[in-house]
Parts: sequence; structure tokens; C-alpha cells
Amino acid sequence: MSSRPAEVFDLGYRGYEGERTGRWARRDAIWRDGIRISLGLGRGVGAKVAPWLLLALALVPMVVLVVVAAFVGPATNPDDFELPSYADYYGWAMVPLALFAAVVAPLLICPDRSDRVLSLYAARPITPLDYVGARWAAFATVALAAAWAPEAVLFTWNVLDAEHPGSFLRDNWEVVPRFLAAGALVATVLTTLALLVSSFATRRAYASVAMLAVIFIGSAIGGIAEDNFSGGAADAVSLVGLPQATTDAVRWIFDDEVDRPVSGGVALLWLLGLTIVLAAWLVRRTNRLVRG
Amino acid sequence: MALLRAHELTKTFGSVRALDGVSFEIDEGITGLLGSNGAGKSTSLKLFLGLLDPDSGSAEVLGQEARNSPEVRTRIGYGPEHDCLPRNVSAAEFLAYMARISGLPRTAARLRASDVLRHVGLFEERYRPMETYSTGMKQRVKLAQALVHDPVIAFLDEPTAGLDPLGRREMLELIRRVGGEFGISIVISTHLMGDVERACDSVVVLDAGRLLRSGPVSGFTEETETLEVELLEGAEAVVAALRGRGLEPTVGTAGRRLTLEGVSGEDYDTLRDVIVDAGALLYRLAPARHSLADVFTSDADPATEEASS
Repeated sequence: MSSRPAEVFDLGYRGYEGERTGRWARRDAIWRDGIRISLGLGRGVGAKVAPWLLLALALVPMVVLVVVAAFVGPATNPDDFELPSYADYYGWAMVPLALFAAVVAPLLICPDRSDRVLSLYAARPITPLDYVGARWAAFATVALAAAWAPEAVLFTWNVLDAEHPGSFLRDNWEVVPRFLAAGALVATVLTTLALLVSSFATRRAYASVAMLAVIFIGSAIGGIAEDNFSGGAADAVSLVGLPQATTDAVRWIFDDEVDRPVSGGVALLWLLGLTIVLAAWLVRRTNRLVRG
Repeated sequence: MALLRAHELTKTFGSVRALDGVSFEIDEGITGLLGSNGAGKSTSLKLFLGLLDPDSGSAEVLGQEARNSPEVRTRIGYGPEHDCLPRNVSAAEFLAYMARISGLPRTAARLRASDVLRHVGLFEERYRPMETYSTGMKQRVKLAQALVHDPVIAFLDEPTAGLDPLGRREMLELIRRVGGEFGISIVISTHLMGDVERACDSVVVLDAGRLLRSGPVSGFTEETETLEVELLEGAEAVVAALRGRGLEPTVGTAGRRLTLEGVSGEDYDTLRDVIVDAGALLYRLAPARHSLADVFTSDADPATEEASS
């Protein structure tokens, strides 16, 4: 027999009298929810497959290359195996990162639209800007991690592989802010574009297809303009190809310019301006959606 | 102090005037915002939630204009008419999230979510994805998410929509409990007069963007001086005897229902005696009551009339 005395619990309604958080904590809640959605955390296995597969596609090749480099040893002649440059890797990683944005970013907005949850956000003590800003930050956080991680792996390997890691670090420290800036550019452009496209669709699949169409059709138009025409107008049209423009801007950030019709600096300015316009459009669009 | 105050509230959408200089106040308790489709109920709710800006006038919640202060929404709950629940998320997770974005810390949000789900009768099912819920369960989650942050007042738009009679009765009982035991004031927007009569303490009646009447529900359903009598047998003899005593009953189409206008206390005694003498079989005898439907058929000037007066 239990020696614990009997207790009577009052299961009646009790109001909440504790502290209430401020607006940043509410934004933080939406941000955390966005991270969980982006990575499929707390969801079934099916929700995890696409994001983790695409993130692995961005990260694993670099890890494999570093492992191969560790076994092969330093290159002594031009035909030997060499690790890619920081800028080169972004050129390749744009593909999985763009796919990641196209497949996963719609999850942050489309279900809220199709399930009509936005009307509940509207009645909460947050603004439409809080909502879309936190959603944007959530996806950008994951995209940033995906963009930075391979570069961090490469830089770490280069430091460890150097004959004198300390002096290598002193001589090459400026690589760190460069790859951080390049990753931020890639993540920002892709996040803003993907969320804006998603805000026009209630079904995730439509948003994904539309995002890929924007990227591929833009690339095709940019490529045609670059290959078949010359002059200022053709150079300007070539910037419509976002992956190429982003790669050019990344090369400029790494001071690794190649012969291109438009300089990387101009491409960078174009991308920054475009992102600001897209972000303003996204805010305006979300304002309409949330306030119904 | 009134919880809600609409003052000369006007809102137009293009050429449609959704609200036309409406003024009313809503105090603590359960209030029905009654009107047909297009009466201006949803527009009123959106104005109080700060989701729309009025063309003129003001919509104050707890002494503040909601459109100027998102913070006031920490004390407001809202349950829309339409489906608004994410499908692949559990009710517990969803409510905790809604509590957090309404200003509750994380631990408190989880506790409140479970607590409120228990009160609406969904404690056992709280970890199931909401896509597996029935319509009644979804309506309960909608109510729960409106209450999870312990608001002072909650707006419920057509809370019994799509429910069968039993589900509707249970939902109205739950709303009565929220308004009474929980101490959370409720505004129900509905076109169902029965819901208002069963669940509400007071009512604001809108019609085509104008205020018809407002006041306590009891003021709309008070007894009249009309007496309704239903007889299973002997109706003809009763009618004849009543006429013989100077009363003029109106006889219903089936011949069994009688209505006596302008009855006094003595008339009750007369009626009793007549029924006994005629050996009639009495089924029902009760004074008629006004109903909310009368508001829509009344010829009285609506704008100035207060039911409570």
C-alpha cells in the first residue's frame, strides 16, 4: 500500500498569469518553425528525404574531394589531382543549392496558403513583415549553412594540409570573409527568389516547377544573348541567367575574374539590386496574402 | 468599460458599403453578432482584429484601435469560419506554436496547449495529425487555438458550421463553458438565430451594413401577451365556449391550435374552466415569446431602437 497521501487535483480552467514575450520572441518562434520545416524535423521520413539529399549533394562532393586529396597528396605536375578553388566549387554547388531552394522553400509558404493558416497569423500579435521576414531568415539560415559548409571544409583542409598552418592562416585569412560573403550572396538570392515564386502558388509542386523554370529559362535567355549577340544590350540581357551571374559575382568576390562580357562587380550589383526588388515584392505580396 | 466599441464605423469595398456608420458596444460575456450573409459581420470582425482599416469611424478593442497596435492582439483570440488547420501537424504542436507567436514562452506554450486541448475534449487525440480529425474535432481545435494564449476576448466566426445537431449542441455548450467557467468573453459571428438564443447573453443584429438592434438576448425573447393553446381533443367546444365568454381565439389550420391575443390573468382562469367544462384534452398552454426572427420582420425603425430599453 502506498504511503503517499491522497491528493485532489483541480482540473478546472486556469488562466495564464505568467510573463508574455515580446515581438522578437514571436519572430523567433516562426523562424524556428521555418528551420524545422526546411529540414523536415519533427515530420515523417518522407519530409526529410528531399532536403537532406540535396544538402548532402552540396556538401558530400567536397568532403569526398578532400578525402581523395588526403590520399593522393600534393600536386606536382599539371595532370595531378587538384582540389577545386573556392569560386569553382560555388559554380558547381549552385545546382544542388538551386534545386534545394526550388524543392524545399515552397514548404515554408505554400502549405500556409493552401491550408489557409495565414488568417490565423493575421489575428496574432505579429505583422505580415514579421511572418515573411522570419520565414525568409529560416530558409536563408539553412541555405547559408549549406553554402558555407563545403567552403569551410575546404579551407580547414587547406590549413591542415599546409606545411606551416599558422603562416598559411595569416597569409590566407581573407579567404574566410570572401567565402562568407559569397555564400551569403548565393543564399540570399536563392531564398528571396524561391519564396517570392512560392507566394504565388498554393501547391508546392507548382512553386517548384515555376522556380526551376525561372532559373532555366533565364539561363537559356542569358546564354543565347551572350553567345549570339554583342553590345551593351546583349551584355545586360546575359545577366538574366541568374546562376551564371551569381557565379560571376562569386568569382569577383574571390578576386578570380575570368573573361566575361559583364564584369563580376557589375553582376554583383545587379544581383543585389534584383534581390532588393524581389524582397520588396515579396513583402508586398505577403502583406496582401496575410491580411486577406 | 466595454471590451469592444464601434463608433460610426463605415467600410466600403468598391461600390459595396459593407458597414454604414455602425455604432455599438460589446461588454463581457457571450455576444452574438447576428446577420445574414453580407450583413457586415465578417467585416466587423476584421476591423476589430485590425486587418482592415475603416473608411471612417473607429473600432476599439480593450480601449485601443487594433489597426494601430498589434500588441492588443495578444489579448484577442480568433477562430475563422473556414478550414485553417495545417494537415500534417498534430494539434498539440500546432497549438504550442500558436501560443508562442501569441506571446507565451516555450514551456508555458506547451503546457497551455495540452491544458486547452483537454478542456475542449481532445487530450487523447492531441498527438494525431489534424488531417485525420473529423469536422467536429477540427472545430474544437479552432476554438482551442483561439483560447490557447488566454485572451480576454475571442472572436468565433460561425463556430457551428458543418456540425450535426449533436456536435452543434456540444459546441454551444463548450462556448457557454468558455464564457462562464473560463471567464473569456466570446463574440460569435453567425447567421443562426438558434445559436445566439442558446449560447449568447447579448446580441448585435446587423443587416445590410446597418445596425438593426443590440442588447441582451432576454430582451428579444421575452414573453408576449399572446397565449398559445394546443388541444388534442375538444377544440371546437372550447372555441365556442370562449366566444360565448367574449374571447376571440384564432384557430390554427389543423383546428387544434388556438391563439389568444392580449390575455390578462383572469383570462387564464376562464380558459382553464372552459377546458374542464368541455372535457377537452389539453396538450400545451404557454405564453408566446418574441424571437430573434422578429427583429428582421419588425416595422420599427431599427437604427434607434435598443432591445434592452
